[in-house]
Amino acid sequence: MVATLATPVSEKQPGKERRSRKRQDAPAVRAFRATPFTYGTLLIVAAILTTPLVFVGSIALSSDATVNNGAFTVIPREFHWDNFSRVFGTELPVGTFLLNSVLISLFSVAGQVLSSGLVGYAFARLRAPGKNTMFLIVIATMMIPTQITMIPQFILFRDLGWVNTFLPLIVPNFFSNAFNVFLVRQFVSRLPSQLDEAAMMDGLGFFGIYRRIMFPMLRPVLIAIGIFTLTHTWGDFMGPLIYLNDESKMPLALGVQYITATSQAGQAPPWNLVMVGSILLALPMIIVYYIGQKYLYEMDISGGSAGVK
Amino acid sequence: MATSTAPKAAPAAAEKTASPKPGKQKLSKRRRREALSFYLFISPWIIGFLVFLLGPMIASIYYSLTDWDSFTPPRWVGFENYTKLLTDDPVFWTALWNTLYYAAISVPLGLVIGLWLANLLNKQVRARKLFRTLIYLPTLIPLVATAMIFRMVLAPNGPINDFLGLFGVSGPNWLYDGPWVKPALILMSTWGAGAATVLLLAAMKGIPRELYEAAEVDGASGMRQFWSITLPHLTPIIFFNLIMGLIAAFQVFSQVYILVAKGKNPAGYDAAQTMVPFLFDQAFSYYHMGYASAISWLLFLVILVFTVIAFRTTRRWVFYETEVK
Repeated sequence: MVATLATPVSEKQPGKERRSRKRQDAPAVRAFRATPFTYGTLLIVAAILTTPLVFVGSIALSSDATVNNGAFTVIPREFHWDNFSRVFGTELPVGTFLLNSVLISLFSVAGQVLSSGLVGYAFARLRAPGKNTMFLIVIATMMIPTQITMIPQFILFRDLGWVNTFLPLIVPNFFSNAFNVFLVRQFVSRLPSQLDEAAMMDGLGFFGIYRRIMFPMLRPVLIAIGIFTLTHTWGDFMGPLIYLNDESKMPLALGVQYITATSQAGQAPPWNLVMVGSILLALPMIIVYYIGQKYLYEMDISGGSAGVK
Repeated sequence: MATSTAPKAAPAAAEKTASPKPGKQKLSKRRRREALSFYLFISPWIIGFLVFLLGPMIASIYYSLTDWDSFTPPRWVGFENYTKLLTDDPVFWTALWNTLYYAAISVPLGLVIGLWLANLLNKQVRARKLFRTLIYLPTLIPLVATAMIFRMVLAPNGPINDFLGLFGVSGPNWLYDGPWVKPALILMSTWGAGAATVLLLAAMKGIPRELYEAAEVDGASGMRQFWSITLPHLTPIIFFNLIMGLIAAFQVFSQVYILVAKGKNPAGYDAAQTMVPFLFDQAFSYYHMGYASAISWLLFLVILVFTVIAFRTTRRWVFYETEVK
């Protein structure tokens, strides 16, 4: 043990050494050697996975006549770009759907970021009797499937007169979420505690420390929580399906399905416009992911196994 | 080694001696203020826990023991809902079977494909980033949009059947042909196998390269290196994905609700009804709130049983690096 400590290599942390080394520099061992077969498989898989996306684009660009014949092709043959402006016209309320999605998502994200940050910080740093028990409860609540609370929550919100409003979808987010609290707590635990101690010497209260010192440092984890909440709320189907009845209140995820479900019997839904709606539903999430992915990687989502150890 | 651990241990020890023994000593003024701040700060969670979780859970247990349409006063029926579900409702057993079928095939299949793709991407391939992006892209698409996409992809004259036609196979009407609905749903779920790929790929990059070099010297083939080095190191992540995947698969809803709509697709509905859509129908179409609450508890029980089984078997196949140190 002592002998190895003396050598310069072992002074580095093994993790850092691993990360800094570029695999490309060394000659490939057999496990990492790419053969024509590797490329062939990857190309075929990529083609299979991409086909549905190209197909969607093709349908979104086809004319109403093609929709009625059901004669779609994977490779687009016609380019009716006006379909993308038509969905915002009088035919379909996609503009309203989109606005509703934006409103519900923004308020939900704000709620989760504000509440989970504060709660997670308290669990990581403040000392109080009963804290560990409460944290165990936080972890345990992650096990409870939402279906258990779905019906009583519906009764609660109905008695409050909140059905057909955005409130049942937004308000619970202001009371934090076990998984997000867990993420913030883990993140804060890794920050040096000298920072808050110094701030306390300067006479800052606990909330002052949180707002002035912690909140800015929590940026990566809060952005990650924002992205998780955004993708979850934006794509949520069951919540709006339970609580929203008016077409004018529906978010896009429900609206797109609503268009296909309410088309007259014997008449095909306007598939070209539905697919435009689906693209509008998917595109923001793809963009958000690619802008935010460095924060997700910083959060080390790959270390997911740590949670179940 | 001792010198490096000493500074770490010191603050912890100091903290321990500084903290008063519970019950024996009164909390200092500062500690009391700290505790008060703690409860204030976590009050959003406490309120949320009581109002949106614990309260509803208790209410749900009560509802499940009543016959209630949510408009007239509930009627106490004891365990009748549960006995009816378990002994007298064939739809429940169909839904349970379909859910198990879906979970048991889609989750392992997704993991195997995800692992296989991750292993390909872990080789020294050009354009790795592009391939990774294309493989991950489907998982970013919201479920409703995915369901819409697959409604067209799985149509009788859609791309899948066109492809099968190239080999002279006339494809089934996937979403309307009883026996083909579940395979169709599983097919759709494998489109998102890339989610596991990204996690597994990140984990593969953390495996020490020295292990492969040593195996290379010993003449191990690429396949052998995968089975003996890569796979054992990934078992914790695979296990985590398996648990999460199973829990999510048991709760499958949107795809089933959209693709096998009740009124429009009776054949598909019977063949692919799963637990949550069944629960949803009972609660929000028929207003059988008590009955639906009982379903939710049975669903919870099923999830719990499978989670416990998965955890019980971990010792046999999950390898944690820290254990052998």
